[in-house]
Amino acid sequence: MHIPDGVLSINVILSTYVALMGVTYVAFSRISKIWSSSLAGKTSSIAALTFAAQMINWPIPGGTSLHFVGGALSGIVLGPWAGFTAMLIVLLVQALIFHDGGLTALGANAINMAVVAVFSGYVLYKLLSRRSTWIAGFTSGWLSVFLAGALCGVELWLSNPISITPLVVMALWHAALGVIEGAITASAIAYVKKKAPQIIEV
Amino acid sequence: MKLPRWLIVATALILVSPLFGIYLADLVGYHEPLDIAIEILGLKEWEDKWPFKDYSIPGLDPYLGYIASGFIGVGAIALTIFILNRALIYIRKKGS
Repeated sequence: MHIPDGVLSINVILSTYVALMGVTYVAFSRISKIWSSSLAGKTSSIAALTFAAQMINWPIPGGTSLHFVGGALSGIVLGPWAGFTAMLIVLLVQALIFHDGGLTALGANAINMAVVAVFSGYVLYKLLSRRSTWIAGFTSGWLSVFLAGALCGVELWLSNPISITPLVVMALWHAALGVIEGAITASAIAYVKKKAPQIIEV
Repeated sequence: MKLPRWLIVATALILVSPLFGIYLADLVGYHEPLDIAIEILGLKEWEDKWPFKDYSIPGLDPYLGYIASGFIGVGAIALTIFILNRALIYIRKKGS
């Protein structure tokens, strides 16, 4: 889901960078009030695990492929602002060192995976977690990937408004592939909740 | 010294990652929905010569390069959060 250089229009590049700067300013204002060595350790571990998990690509023969995103998991374990920070650092390292995701598309990639995926996953988990941890984890993981993928399609469409097909492709494929993200998110949350429930922020 | 559990899990993920990220990806022709969308629009990613592009290390076997990239990435993330931690502690001390 990492948008490369060369596919977004200048308007989309600038507007997503401006939006990212706004969210980053608010996030750092918020986390500076709650920051602790414990939160630093948790943020570091979730960011490192997300980075390592994103290196595992799941090729699906005859179809399309995907990798874990981890936005919902970050938001649920760290809370939305530290979750955003963890995902932003992962995306920065991927773009600046490995050029996985273009530098011109960093604003859009961060809005999709560090803002939309983290906040949607966090909010949905908070709403549903009283009923069932697994269902809450699954639906928040699924929704986070579906929304991030669909927004990525919207950014492509706004940049190249010649056809709506790419938007439909992104939304439908991520609705289907999000099932795997949901299963991993639910399993990881259930495991953490069993072994160390105190580290989950929600 | 006991290693933190997250570091053990991250190391295990990095060590098995070339199996999925290189071997199986080449076997089935890895492409994401985004690649399909970009193809439909007839767009092309900019050509560039990024030294560690796609988790490779120049001069190193692709499998070893992928694993080394994983450790470089985890190290860069830990270093970034270490610096952020110091900066936030400094800002808080200065403010109080």
